[in-house]
Order: sequence, then C-alpha cells, then structure tokens
Amino acid sequence: MTLVIAVPSKGRLQENTYEYFARAGLEIVQGRGVRDYRGSVAGLEGVEVAFLSASEIVGQLAAGAAHIGVTGEDLVREHVADVDAKLIMLTPLGFGRANVVVAAPQSWIDVRNMADLEDVCAHYRARRGARMRVATKYVNLTRRFFDEHAVTDYRIVESLGATEGAPAAGSAELIVDITTTGATLTANALKIIEDGVILRSEANLVAAKRADWSDGARDAARAILSRLAASEKARRSREVRAIWPEGNAQAVAETATKFGATAEFSGSGAQAFLCPRPLAAELANYLLAQGARRVVVQSVEQVFETDNPLYNALASKMFATD
Amino acid sequence: MGRPMGPITSIGREARRAAGERAFGYFRDAGFVHVEPAILQSTAPFLDMSGEDVRGRLFLTAGPEGEELCLRPDFTIPVCLLHLQSGAREARYAYLGPVFRARAGAEGELMQTGLESFGRRDIEAADAEILGLALEAADAAGAGPLKVRIGDARVFDGVISALGLPEYWRRRVRRGVARGLPLEKVLDRGGLTPFSKAGVLAALERADHDGAKALVQDLLSIAGISTVGGRSPSEIADRFLEQAASRGDSGLGAEQMHALERFLSISGHPDAAARALRALAKEAGLAIDKALCSFEERTGFLAARGLAVDEFSYGAGFVRDLDYYTGFVFEAVSTDPAALKPILGGGRYDGLAHKLGAAQETPAVGAAIWLDRLKAEALS
Repeated sequence: MTLVIAVPSKGRLQENTYEYFARAGLEIVQGRGVRDYRGSVAGLEGVEVAFLSASEIVGQLAAGAAHIGVTGEDLVREHVADVDAKLIMLTPLGFGRANVVVAAPQSWIDVRNMADLEDVCAHYRARRGARMRVATKYVNLTRRFFDEHAVTDYRIVESLGATEGAPAAGSAELIVDITTTGATLTANALKIIEDGVILRSEANLVAAKRADWSDGARDAARAILSRLAASEKARRSREVRAIWPEGNAQAVAETATKFGATAEFSGSGAQAFLCPRPLAAELANYLLAQGARRVVVQSVEQVFETDNPLYNALASKMFATD
Repeated sequence: MGRPMGPITSIGREARRAAGERAFGYFRDAGFVHVEPAILQSTAPFLDMSGEDVRGRLFLTAGPEGEELCLRPDFTIPVCLLHLQSGAREARYAYLGPVFRARAGAEGELMQTGLESFGRRDIEAADAEILGLALEAADAAGAGPLKVRIGDARVFDGVISALGLPEYWRRRVRRGVARGLPLEKVLDRGGLTPFSKAGVLAALERADHDGAKALVQDLLSIAGISTVGGRSPSEIADRFLEQAASRGDSGLGAEQMHALERFLSISGHPDAAARALRALAKEAGLAIDKALCSFEERTGFLAARGLAVDEFSYGAGFVRDLDYYTGFVFEAVSTDPAALKPILGGGRYDGLAHKLGAAQETPAVGAAIWLDRLKAEALS
C-alpha cells in the first residue's frame, strides 16, 4: 500500500510546503507535465504525492483517501464535523498564518465586542423585522461562534470571494473572514470585533485516521515523519562548540541543565552542546565566562533522535499496539 | 462534505407507517384535507423563521442555479406556504410523511403526522380542538397514557410587555427562558461596552434624535470613517439614546424583577395557575387581562371536549424559542418514566403567515405526532 501525501497545488502555501519538505531533504517531484496532479518524493519508494487545493486536502483526509496532508486549520475546523474522530493534527507548521475574525463597519462606533453585536442584532431585527446578514465562507465556524455568544438574530449569506466587499456592496451588514494583517478589512472600512477572533489558524501537518494504514504506509510515514521531525528539531536548535579544557563532567552537566541543552561530542578539551536556538548566544557567553577559550555557534541540518515526536503523535492515536 | 448519520434501518418503518395511517385517518375523518408539501424545499424560509441555529440540523443541497435547498425539516412551514399560495382564508389540513433532521449518530429520516388549522377566529375553541384531536389520534396510533404540558406565549409576552420591557428584550427573555437559562443570566448585560466608554457620546444624554444623529455623523466624518453597510448613523444614534436612557440594561427595577421571577415560578393545574396569574397581575399592576381571559376560556373548551384538564400541567416558562408562536403551546410525553421526548407537540402560530409574506397575521394552530417516538409495543 502506497502512502499518499496531499500537498497544496498552488500559491504561497505550496511554496512553503515544498520548502518545509525540502528542509528535511524531501524533494517533492511533480509528474512530467504541469497538468499532472500526482507526484513523488525523490528517492522514496511507496510514497505518492497528490496535488490538491487546500480545501480538497481536508476532504481527502477526512475521507481517508490521503494519509497525511498539509492544510490550514481554518479549513479543517470549518469542513470537518468531528475532527478528533477523523484527523490527527500532528504539528503546526509556522506558515500560512491567518485569523478568522468577525468584522463590522468602522462606523458602528457603538459596537466593540460580541455582546454589543448581539444587542445590535436584536435591535436591528426588532426595528426592521429582518435579520442582520453575515457574509462568510466559514458557515460552520460562524454558526458555532455566534451561538457561543448568544447571537441569534442573523442570517448567513454565503460568500465565495471578496467577502470584505459585501458590506459596501450592500449584500451583508457584517462579515466573518480570514485576515493576516487586517489591512484589507481597514481598506474596506471594516474593523475586527474585540473578542471576535474565532480562530488563529496556520498550516498544519495533518494525519487521517480513516486512511488505510497498512504496514507499508506506516513504514513510509515513519521514514518521512522522522526526517521532518529531524529537520524541525534542527531548525529550532543550534550547535554550540567550545574549546573548554576546564569543562569537567559536572560542569558540562550543570551547563546543559541550565540552558535546556544536551551535551555531546566531548574530548581533548572540546565540548559540544545542542541547545534551543534562542539561547545559543547566551550559552556561548556563559561558556566564555566559565573559562572556555573559543566558542563556535552553528546551525545544524538534521537532528535524528530515537524519540520521534511526529510519528509518536500519529502512532499513539492510531496504532495502540505499535 | 457528508454529515455523520446513523444507519438507516427499515425495521419498524412499516409499523410506524401503519400507526401513522391510523392517526392520519382520524384527522381526515374529522374533516382535515390531505396536504402533501414537496420534500425538497427552499432553505430560506426555515432559516428566516428559525435562525441560523437550524442550519446544522438541515440536510442541505443546491439547485441547478445554485439556490439553497433542503429536505423539509418539518411540515408547518411548507403547509403554511401552500396555504398562502392557495389564497384560501380558512382551511384545515392533515399530513403524513417523513421529515428530515441531521443528528449525529441518529437516523435522519423521521415519520410525522399532524394537522394545521388556518383562519379560525374563535381561537380558544380552535386551540382546544387541535390539542383534542392530536391526543385522540395519538391514542389511536397506540401512544398509551400521556402527560400533557401547556404554556401560553400570549400570557408570557403580555407579562414582559406589561413590565415595560421593549420588544427586543421581550424576545431575548423568551429565548433565554425557552433555552432554560436562569433569569439572572438572561438579564445580565455585563458584557456590553458601557455607555460612558463612548466618551464624548455621553453628551447625547440630553440630546434628541436629530441632535444625536448629527453628532454621530460629525464624529464619523472627523474620524474619517466612511459608512458602509445597511446600518445607518441614525440607527447608531438611536441606540446611543436608548442606552443613555436605560444604561443598556433591561431597565427592570427590583419590584419588576420580583414580579418576573414570581411569574416564571407559576406552574401546575391550569385553573390554579390562572388564579395565581390573576393575583400576580393585580398585585404587580400588570395589564394582561385579555390574555388571561383567553387562557381561561381555552381551559373551558378543553374541559368541554372531555379532556382531562385536571391532569394537565401549565408552566409559565414553557414557551418556544420561535417568534411566530404567539399563543397556546403544548406537548405530551409518555407517562413511561423512560420517555424523554414528547410524542406530540404543537401550538398557535398566528405570526407565521405574516412573516412568510402574507399581508397580515393569520390565525393558525397545529400539532405534530412524532411516530418514531411511539414505543415498540404500540407498533406491534
């Protein structure tokens, strides 16, 4: 059984996904023609790559037609009724960041929060006999969020593009939409409701519970996830190497604990640490203060460990006896 | 994307149908005309009447031109639409067939039979007739002994209005009570942006509508904010004025709160409840006499029909979370302690026809029997 990985077929999300895999030494190879929607990972047998739109990826994963995929959390929460039963969110990927927000016209100077909005919706209906219209493509997220805030006097107008223009066009009074900087909303004379952030979304690596997890698929997933985890660990770490003759075992162990680092490769007065990236410079200075003569900080390519957090996340929820 | 749905089994379907035929036959013998609305309906009326809340329970699909369609989730709205199309003033309908509700892990197709009566002006007699027929038909279907619960949206709305709460507060309270929320929670508006926070707008406290509107417009133009969307500066100004007057809360004083709490606690035997309601109206100075007369008159009609009114239980807080229910509401649950959901339910919905586009309110009352909730032994 082949492992099917679903990746976005266009745009920034595609570029970032390719980069994410490339960092782990996994080169996604597209089929011969540009119109070929199936590809592979260079040098890996038993893996097929499906190029799909981000929302198709959600559908394929939920149905179990793909094993692993990269897609936005917003789409997962919107389109999958029972996420925990169907999907495993393996890890957020740090790109494709965007918030799903409730936005109303700036001219509604009396509306700051969801309680205000509930009040205004009730007034509007009492006055006009019609419900306030909310333009969105996030029908389910909107419904759930409005229900949590007891907003009931509204109607959803489904919008499949340029949602932010709906109030100006007169097709809705407010919107629920995705935004990164809020600039598009501001340009359309809209503002975000203070407690109206429905979801802080980013691209996620997602596994499908309902896919056919044969031994072959499992092994391929383990191979890929261990590489992805290794490059992720590498990206978050720095190797700090010091000429440190005085660094006895006790001093090394204390230093490692102090900086959340692991000690490695020692001998003939040299000592190396793998430490969290933000602490690297601090560790270097600390070592100098402890008598080290020279400290080199360098980035690393991959850190393979016996403990593979990505595969563990998959295995612990999928293969109880693994 | 597909919604999860339990397995559709045909076990018991024929038996349910047979039980339904018996109840439906009873309605027809009483002179109700068979009506068969389409299974596939436009989604808009259901969402307009019940709010987006129901969207999650609809089986949705789309027409060839993208129009939103759904499988009918109930009969009342489709039958009312057919009645309006017919142009008739007065009519009595009975139906039998499936309705469709999406529920996680449960069957989505449910059999219903029921009846709707439009246009009768003698509303108390019509109320009594519908509940009577529904109970008799349920008995014919094999429902066994039932506990009947009644409520009255007219009395409920009357009390809220008499307490001086504005229209949108009346709806908010009714919605909260129908959802079973405690009164303090319903009336708590703590989350609202306090009026004082609106800074300069506190100046509105002594302004009139025109002054307030001018101020809001000036503010918007000073800040360089363009108005988009359907809500005008005039509406914003009015809301500020109203907040200035009531400081955004319900405006209920301690005495009125007490009266409202006392009202919601009234329950039990319909006659005893009516006496308690009259006493409350008198002591709290609530002008709800007409609604109470109607309530008492209806009880009389129910008793005259031979129904066991003494065993009915009234609840002041028994209202539906739907605006178009304007009067009598009722439901009947099996006396079997395991029974949770009512076998039949219904009520008066004079507001529906108008909300669906009719020129004026049309007296209407109806009831539906949930055939799937009949016990297995009733079906055998």
